[in-house]
Amino acid sequence: MRGSVVRAVMAKDLLAVSRSKAVVIPMLAVPLLLMVVMPFGIGLAARGQENPEVSRILASMPGDLARPILELPRREQLIVLVNGYLLAPLFLIVPLMVSAVLAADAFAGEKERKTLESLLHLPVSDRELFFAKLLTAFLPAMAVSWIGFACFCVVSNGVAWPVMHRIFVPTSLWLVMILWIAPAVAALGLAVMVRVSARARTSQEANQLGGAVILPLIFLAVGQSSGLLLATLPVAMAAGALIWLVALLLVRGGAKRFTRDELATKV
Amino acid sequence: MPAAVETHDLTRSFPSGVAVDGLELEVQAGEVLALLGPNGAGKTTTVRLLNGILRPDRGHARVLGLDPAVDGDEVRRRTGVLTEHAGLDERLTARENLTLTGRLRGLDRAWVERRTDDLLDQFGMADRAHLPVQGTSTGQRKRLALARALLHDPEVLFLDEPTSGLDPAATREVVELIGSLATEHGRTIVLCTHFLGEAGRLADRMAVLHRGVLHAFGRPEEIAATLWDGLDVQLDLGGPVEPTTAAALRADPGVSVVADTATGCTVRVEDRTVVPRLVRLLVDRGVAVYGATARPPSLEDVYFAIEARIAGDRSEMAEVGS
Repeated sequence: MRGSVVRAVMAKDLLAVSRSKAVVIPMLAVPLLLMVVMPFGIGLAARGQENPEVSRILASMPGDLARPILELPRREQLIVLVNGYLLAPLFLIVPLMVSAVLAADAFAGEKERKTLESLLHLPVSDRELFFAKLLTAFLPAMAVSWIGFACFCVVSNGVAWPVMHRIFVPTSLWLVMILWIAPAVAALGLAVMVRVSARARTSQEANQLGGAVILPLIFLAVGQSSGLLLATLPVAMAAGALIWLVALLLVRGGAKRFTRDELATKV
Repeated sequence: MPAAVETHDLTRSFPSGVAVDGLELEVQAGEVLALLGPNGAGKTTTVRLLNGILRPDRGHARVLGLDPAVDGDEVRRRTGVLTEHAGLDERLTARENLTLTGRLRGLDRAWVERRTDDLLDQFGMADRAHLPVQGTSTGQRKRLALARALLHDPEVLFLDEPTSGLDPAATREVVELIGSLATEHGRTIVLCTHFLGEAGRLADRMAVLHRGVLHAFGRPEEIAATLWDGLDVQLDLGGPVEPTTAAALRADPGVSVVADTATGCTVRVEDRTVVPRLVRLLVDRGVAVYGATARPPSLEDVYFAIEARIAGDRSEMAEVGS
């Protein structure tokens, strides 16, 4: 597999995508909302509370999760609860969502724009094409997620500074989640979405078909990620490794089955 | 010299039916072959098979000595394809469409930049080089797509319906461009079309496909010889031919058919040696002969005769079946 060819396919696709408002706006708007606007708004609201009452919420949470928050001064509890814990699952939604949008466009979008056939006529091997399309969705998704996460940390710590007087995010578990588990979840979704995109005729169809697979994945990721915050570092690392293993197996299987013959029959 | 393109028993089916069935073709280097047939004849599938986009169910092809099903990348490196839809990314500029294709082909960047400038200039697109393709006319897109197909100076060029969707002026422009590619550069060209005018103007040989089956292959005059005995000659007599004169012409052993025209008649003769004898006969009868023109069958005549033969064969089969 030639890296230069993979990079060339990615460069072309990313340049084209960057000019498509229909793709770029939702891709940036949702992370902006989840990772900047929400923590800022919540942080601001929590900061204004002199004596926030969160004990009822904390009482409904597992003891291991609630205890460290209860040990904090009362003014800090709401900020840490929301920006330090409750928003955590959103970091798995962003890479999944961004990569799904781009992956849906990967082949189905090419079919829709009638550019797929001319792409297939280039001296780019099936494997190079598959991995280029996969990376075209994966790398921007991770870039948006990580930049978004950095923004989240800056905003959360900045808005909470008058109350906290210290940096409280990211914690080591946050870092495992964003650097290790989020890419694995994105790869898992992508392995499915690229195959769906190759079979669908339009990106809308790919999004609809893919949604049926991606949405349960999102719910699963969101549900389990809250639990992960209770886990120890080795457990979180192991969970990430397991997701990576499944994702890589799916990618490998997808790459094996992916042929331009199959794609061309659907042009 | 080995053929630039050859196929033996090339066959490919889809769930909807057989698209190409036992195709036997040969295109010599520097030759222009017109692949003719109505929509659904199997022309595009043939181009895809010859470029390793699709794999054959049976048989094989060789393009520039390579098997596209095995060495697809190498074949595609040496061929250029203009697909029916121009296939340009509308979000990119005309220039970016070419330069990024150059990168995808692994060509040297500096060389691609120079080549892109030359091609945009040659194809009259230099003034639109930095504008997005969205907003350009269909004719401009075809020209740009043709420039892209030529970017890497391919040895074999496949043109799939190059003038579909174009107005007459743009059609003439594109046909002239293709003509210059064939005559000035001696490139091997496989031209898929259902427009007989451009095929007649550009092609050395023709292959007629119908529902995936090759029904005729060769030079139009060679195929004509298998379809008709003799040669049509138009006799200009300055007005309708008299019935007695027509009968006299018909009585000549070298004449098979006499058909009236507004200015005389068309006679089908065994060969051209019969023509002086007929002119003498007319002059002896006091008929003024203003002209005698041998009219070899046009590509259009040949194509429609083949289509008629195919239709005849099908109805015969239907009758046998019933």
